[in-house]
Amino acid sequence: MTAVVGIPPAITEETQPFWDAAAEGRLVVEHCDACGAESFPPRGICRTCRSRDTGWVEVSGPGTVYSFTVNHQRWLPDLEVPYAVVLVEFPDHPGVRVAGRLRGGAPDDVAIGMVVDVGFEPGPGGTSIPSFLAR
Amino acid sequence: MHGAPAEHRAVISGVGQSAVARRVDRSGLQLTIDAILAAVADAGLDLDDVDGLAMFPGGGSANLPGYANGNLYEVQDALRLRTTWRQGQVEGMSLPFYGPALAVAAGQARHAVVYRTVKEGSAARDAGGRPAYGATKPVAEGPLAWLLPVGLLSPVCQVAPYATRYMHDFGVTREQLAWIPVVQRRHAGRNPGAVYRDPLTVDDYLGARMISTPMCLYDCDVPVDGATAIVVSAADAAADLRAPVRIEAMAGVVDGRPSWEQWEDMSRVGHATGAALWARTGLRPADVDVAQLYDGFTIEVAWWLEALGFCGAGEAGAFVEGGGRIDLGGELPLNTWGGQLSGGRLHAAFGHTAEAVRQLRGEAGERQVAGAEVAVVSNVGGIEAGAAVLTTY
Repeated sequence: MTAVVGIPPAITEETQPFWDAAAEGRLVVEHCDACGAESFPPRGICRTCRSRDTGWVEVSGPGTVYSFTVNHQRWLPDLEVPYAVVLVEFPDHPGVRVAGRLRGGAPDDVAIGMVVDVGFEPGPGGTSIPSFLAR
Repeated sequence: MHGAPAEHRAVISGVGQSAVARRVDRSGLQLTIDAILAAVADAGLDLDDVDGLAMFPGGGSANLPGYANGNLYEVQDALRLRTTWRQGQVEGMSLPFYGPALAVAAGQARHAVVYRTVKEGSAARDAGGRPAYGATKPVAEGPLAWLLPVGLLSPVCQVAPYATRYMHDFGVTREQLAWIPVVQRRHAGRNPGAVYRDPLTVDDYLGARMISTPMCLYDCDVPVDGATAIVVSAADAAADLRAPVRIEAMAGVVDGRPSWEQWEDMSRVGHATGAALWARTGLRPADVDVAQLYDGFTIEVAWWLEALGFCGAGEAGAFVEGGGRIDLGGELPLNTWGGQLSGGRLHAAFGHTAEAVRQLRGEAGERQVAGAEVAVVSNVGGIEAGAAVLTTY
């Protein structure tokens, strides 16, 4: 798969494990060892109880589309359009919402409430970016 | 709240603008000086009266080419100002005059100037189109790290899911929301300073190309070059001022996650700011004569119409449909300068504030709202949120 055009993320102390897992095709979010809550994006602190005793948990999906947009504008040279970007929530992971591309169908077939599987694709700067799969 | 709100000890005393157009071939510094000289004269003051200076946003926070011009140090040096209060405001300040108003209320300055200068029109043209967010940086930092890599490359794309969700939850249609840009363009036709003044119809809107669904070309504000300056003065200096405007109330509450994709309920934006604003004044939405509501995108106007209580949640589509309520002579004339959609993206409600001041002074020319005594101004919404009630002095 050709890498999608975009601007790569700055990878920080807090976000390195997320991007490392993404490279392996796994979606991970922060898990609080004190209260069990999950947080995303990773901040190195639990957003629920503010414990800094956090680890990681894999989110395997499926997820549900909370909202979306289909982008038609070529913001960068060689950006292929149109494409759909979805904001995905997970029934078993309250408070976790992840933005990613959508593939496996025509962009205009996207809808709120659509069920999608977790996936990744080659992204800018050698990263692997969230890219959900339409069922 | 104990006693009168601190903002009652401040007034907006002057507004001034440089030329505003898709492209103005002047440096950011010269545009800034034009705006400040105009604003200080508009206040009835002299540059030597100015002792507070704020750039908005402060340098270094720009993720878009042309986003923040008129370096604070260069402006102070060029104008030979001696300041007792100075700030390179972060954009998180809810409204640009919020910090200056608190500074003069606290006696840190007597006459403070806050300015914003954009060169986004030139930057877009030089880039061959509107540039991607973060295009000047090699990597996406902070909240943008979760947006730009997956293709949410512009504020348009980042705000579009709010419109998608809002329209889904409430059954609001593009045919209804079209009236916001259409009526604002009608106002712009009466404003010689607006960037786009030719009539726009609902059919034009529905036929326009999509940028990022459901937002089309006419849902997006216009990148321009230009500067706006606002002078905020101590209320007890009113006798020295030409035509001050009262700050009746101001508020800015961020009660959701401050990342565009993480805001919990994308159908409700700005409501906490609206509640906080009305808690600071005895005035009510029905008292408002003219509204200058932030319109980086059409959907933001819908947020504020609902958040400020001009209509109920989900009712903004019906409120604007047909255009009568928001036209001159309607119950709530809206963005009478054309807004950012037709007047130019001056950012952070600088253009909205300037227009509110003109309306309250009766200086808005052909687009004057007769007898305007109470105005509201709002900024962005959601991750950045601010709103104020301004009244005649």
